Amino acid sequence: MRHLITATVNGRERELSVKSNQTLLDVLRDDLRLKGTHEGCSVGVCGSCTVLVDGKPVSSCLMLASNAEGRDVLTIEGLSRDGNLDPVQQAFLDHQAFQCGFCTPGMIMAVKGLLNENPKPDQVEVRDYLSGNICRCGTYVEVMAAIEDLAAKGQ
Amino acid sequence: MSAVGSDVPRVDGNAKVSGSAQYTADIELPGMLHAKALRSPHPHAKLVSVDVSKAAALPGVIAVVTRDDLEGLNPYYGAVVEDQPVLAMERVRCVGDVVAAVAAEEREIAEEAVELIEVEYEPLPAVFDVVEAAAPEAPIIHEERFETQAAIFREQLNLNAGGNVCSVFRAGDGDVDAGFAEADGIFENTYRMPPVQHGHIEPHVATAVWESPNRLVVHTPCQNAVGLQEQLARIFNLPESGVRVVVPHVGGGYGGKTHARLEPVTALLARKAGRPVQWVLTREEVFLTGRRYGGFVRMKTGFKRDGSLVAREVEVFYDLGAYALSGPANAKTGSYVASGPYRVPNRRLTTYAVYTNLPPAGPYRGVGVPHVAWAYESEMDRIARHLRMDPLELRLKNLLQEGDIFVTGESLVSVGISDCLRQAAAGIGWRGREEQADGATEGSLRRGKGLAVIMKSTTTPTASAASVRLNGDGSVMLLTSSTEMGQGVRTCLAQIVAEGLGFPVERVTVSAPDTDVTPYDKSTSSSRTTFHMGNAALRAAEEVRDQLLEAGARALEVDKADLELAATGVSVRGVPDRSLTIPQLLRVKYGDAVGSIFGSCNFQVKGGLDPKTGKGKAAAFWFFAACAAEVEVDAETGKVRVLDIATSVDVGKAINPLQCWLQNEGSMLEALGAAFFEEMVFEQGQPVNGTLLEYMLPSMEDHPERFQSLLVETPHPDGPFGAKGAGEAVIPAVAPAIGNAVANALGGVNITELPLRPERIVAALAERAAGASRDK
Ligand code: FES
Ligand code: FES
Repeated sequence: MRHLITATVNGRERELSVKSNQTLLDVLRDDLRLKGTHEGCSVGVCGSCTVLVDGKPVSSCLMLASNAEGRDVLTIEGLSRDGNLDPVQQAFLDHQAFQCGFCTPGMIMAVKGLLNENPKPDQVEVRDYLSGNICRCGTYVEVMAAIEDLAAKGQ
Repeated sequence: MSAVGSDVPRVDGNAKVSGSAQYTADIELPGMLHAKALRSPHPHAKLVSVDVSKAAALPGVIAVVTRDDLEGLNPYYGAVVEDQPVLAMERVRCVGDVVAAVAAEEREIAEEAVELIEVEYEPLPAVFDVVEAAAPEAPIIHEERFETQAAIFREQLNLNAGGNVCSVFRAGDGDVDAGFAEADGIFENTYRMPPVQHGHIEPHVATAVWESPNRLVVHTPCQNAVGLQEQLARIFNLPESGVRVVVPHVGGGYGGKTHARLEPVTALLARKAGRPVQWVLTREEVFLTGRRYGGFVRMKTGFKRDGSLVAREVEVFYDLGAYALSGPANAKTGSYVASGPYRVPNRRLTTYAVYTNLPPAGPYRGVGVPHVAWAYESEMDRIARHLRMDPLELRLKNLLQEGDIFVTGESLVSVGISDCLRQAAAGIGWRGREEQADGATEGSLRRGKGLAVIMKSTTTPTASAASVRLNGDGSVMLLTSSTEMGQGVRTCLAQIVAEGLGFPVERVTVSAPDTDVTPYDKSTSSSRTTFHMGNAALRAAEEVRDQLLEAGARALEVDKADLELAATGVSVRGVPDRSLTIPQLLRVKYGDAVGSIFGSCNFQVKGGLDPKTGKGKAAAFWFFAACAAEVEVDAETGKVRVLDIATSVDVGKAINPLQCWLQNEGSMLEALGAAFFEEMVFEQGQPVNGTLLEYMLPSMEDHPERFQSLLVETPHPDGPFGAKGAGEAVIPAVAPAIGNAVANALGGVNITELPLRPERIVAALAERAAGASRDK
């Protein structure tokens, strides 16, 4: 069964025909060809599929696409504007907060969500908030440093 | 600023933070189909019949493959022994063995089709424990013995050791019985290390397309593009040049993507379908596709009252699972270091690579070394405690030194191990003998510190080849089959080439592996790339440099030595206006200002061990590392908190210190996960925790409160700028350092089996308490 939904994706309103069991992740990757959002586990535990829905981080592998009706979806591709990196992306670059980069788009979106909610998180809050974003390359210290930097700059 | 030795930013950084880096699953080819496999539910069974007629008839299904489709091909493959069928032949040997596979227009159709395949099995007796599997009465997992295609393995491994023992390797020195006879004390213990997951967040995935009946193109995140090319060529009776393997961005490997895993089946499906096929494994399938060897270690150590080791006997059993992959070579890597990085005059070291009916294992950072390091470093602390010696002093007293003759007979060079150990210990504020006293206590909380040191070889003999191409605009391309999987190899090689030419790093682009274009490389594994590919790239760059200087010297009528090279061209030292641009140099060389200048090198390291004696040259270079940890254990709950952890690696020369830090941080965290909670559990060969819901990977919350990645630089005479390898050096040292810290905190309660789960710690404490009350 397919139905039509309307959602804003990366700032553009889209009309999408989605299957009732289709996840937001599949719609992003397969239909909209936004391949920057990655799939690592499909059960909501690795965080590599994290996108922002109405400004809040969501595991897109767990969310049904039909639930995106009327909502505002932001993926890694929607972060940079006019070729300029978002401050979070820039901070990840500056602090080399990644290695293989597979978890990175999800991690960046989660950090974005964290700072939306709490512009000056402390270490404990950071660790707790990001505990669902697994980086097997282990680049956590650098992510924490990037966040500290962003918080200090008030971004 | 010199290119080598500085924290040059990653060359792939922008692509990775912007989401534009293309990984294999992101590739969509026109007409591409999706694959799904039917896997064995039995750990060991005869495959009586496979009926795919219903599946094949399902609308949207384009191809279904079974063993029947391997007719006329070479169905068996393997890195060392060719024991793994592309699809199950006469039997299945583990849960997850691929019996059939479907390619369909949509993923859901492929999934539905797989359900329609009817298979009849006849279960066979199975064996799961590695020691039981090695016994002569165990059910035989491979009745046929497979040959190895690679002469090098025939020459250097003792294969087909009988029963389920795929290979055995022995190393030794002196007279072990006499050594034990002169010992003042003897300890004998057994240790266990369970299988764990590599945990790369990108699952295994491959895309295959046949451009013509003689031309196969595969995209895959493989750490070993050339090895895969060779294997696919053999399976499909093609010349190697008939197979093109391309490696896009790789979402982590850690050893788990070194060998062919799903590429042969994907290629077979694409061949039958006549269309491109992509296969992305689910996480559950990843759990059935690769893992670290489980290991069992028996260790007996004789020591003198002054702490010197006099004899050691070690037997190690590595559980390969159903197929060998590189297991025999990895078990060899564990053998000669099984007595640790210590001077031990008398030793007998034996490792067995053993088949079991568990899903296949394979190399994982550190290969066979974590297992033996867990044992020998735990033993060192027991000995220190027994002799009331400082564990640091005991180790320093026995550690190998520069120029020592190792058990393999080779003389050791670039041995910074004592420095590593001192540096790591100082990193957590080690206070000498005091650390032997029981840790500080507060309520049920106990603190303790622990140390560990390791050494590891890099796979030898091997070769790496590279080409450097200089374009007319002064930009440079390095063609290499080394895989960037996060470890920073592209950045590191760009730095080496830039340094070799005297160009800025930004001028150098490093290719991804593409076997149509990039030359031979043994594999991106064993922390060998900086050393081997670095040497090849440097020499290729120097060849380009030489040609430029030669052309310049000819045209400017000066001696080569009087010229300077920069990205703009050459100039006479001190006379900048006597210069030639790159296009002018091309004109001097070729008569026209077009073309490119090539340099290339096939860098070869000879060596290897005689399998009868265990003597020869085991390593192009050795790496040495140490770890020191401070923990707080709750004696009531068994919960452990890591307060401080420091790792130290002798990297020879850090080409990019920041990337070394990141590699060590990643190794530390992987090892920390395996020390505390990671463990693949099987019941009768069935996975019990085979998803990321049940099998936890370390998260940010598990990151120790304090971590330092320290480096020692003892230049290696053969390394590029003195560099060795770094990637996996830390891993084997972490679990024993943590284990020793826990044992220290608990006043000498040693736990011999990983992971150090809270229940295990509580049980060990209860056992000691019971023992103490019995002794009264
Ligand atoms: S893929 Fe969605 S959380 Fe892992
Ligand atoms: S950068 Fe590799 S998993 Fe995070």
